Amino acid sequence: MKTETPKNREQKFAYYMDLLSHDVLNNNQAVLGYLELILASGVVDKKTRKYAEKAVSHIRTSTILVDNVKRLMTTRDMDPSELKPTDLMVAMNSAERDVVRMFPDRKITVKTPSGGPGMRVIGDNAATDLVLNLLVSMVRLDPSDAITLELKVSEQIVQGRECLQITLEDPTAQMPRMAKDKPIEDAYQEDSSIAVRMVGILYCKMMAVMLGGGFEVRELSPKTEPKGAAFVATLLKAGEP
Amino acid sequence: MTSVLIVDDELFIVELYRDILQLRGYKIVGTAFDGEEAVRKYSSNSEKPDVVIMDHRMPVMNGVQATREIIKMNPKQKVIFVSADVMVEKEAREAGAIDFLPKPFRMDDLIEKMQKVSAQ
Repeated sequence: MKTETPKNREQKFAYYMDLLSHDVLNNNQAVLGYLELILASGVVDKKTRKYAEKAVSHIRTSTILVDNVKRLMTTRDMDPSELKPTDLMVAMNSAERDVVRMFPDRKITVKTPSGGPGMRVIGDNAATDLVLNLLVSMVRLDPSDAITLELKVSEQIVQGRECLQITLEDPTAQMPRMAKDKPIEDAYQEDSSIAVRMVGILYCKMMAVMLGGGFEVRELSPKTEPKGAAFVATLLKAGEP
Repeated sequence: MTSVLIVDDELFIVELYRDILQLRGYKIVGTAFDGEEAVRKYSSNSEKPDVVIMDHRMPVMNGVQATREIIKMNPKQKVIFVSADVMVEKEAREAGAIDFLPKPFRMDDLIEKMQKVSAQ
């Protein structure tokens, strides 16, 4: 009998994960397509349209979750130095388009910084996904129908390394209490219902750390109501091409 | 009327494309559930489709190989590649695909791409 090595097991696991996630995406495609058909039929009343639009948001979110699982599978064993540079402006503009499409029942405005040279980070597609996850996770914390998100980028030196810090601010987001009281991971151990709202935040933190950077969450205006929220992701700066 | 050959191994995906594209006035000239069937149908049908919608991950022959075979038969054939495997985009384009859409996509995006490539 052939002995299964940890490497074989790992490959087999990755294979099944890949097959299953591919199947989920195909099913999401069918649901999304038929929802579009319903929305375009012209016989949908206002209330039903709102329900269908909410379903579209959830299908889009489901797709991002599957993509995140796939991304973690492919990135977890990689060293940040193996990853290609990512242009943050391109990533922010594409994430802006995607998040607006993802939530057709909300009015989402994303303010992005004006571009400039040197806005490149190490992270390949994982960094692009991270920016989208920042936006989506913030929207999930904000119950408002009209949401204004602002992205800012600044240069930082962290432990002697050149980094770019991406700050996402939402003045009307409601940050889960546990996200501010203790390390994000602890919330998962203590209250899974709250942790569900924090899955996106956890993913952003995990991915930013895997890419050699860091992540933190804080209240935007602790002394006023609403307090809002800010996500701060730090990524390693990439050299010029 | 723009004619389309749909290639995907999932019956429900083929049905989805067929339902929506027919409603939008496209003519479905054939369907295939793997790359080999697509190549066979493409070569045997005298009426060539204006556009081929090609999936990648399929049994017997994948979408990249099928695209390559179809382009070999007709270098002007317009193939729009649609796949949940975003990593395959470069390979698909090198095989001759004129455009790529990652699944899941909005059907409006597919229609827009079809209009664009049909007009070329």
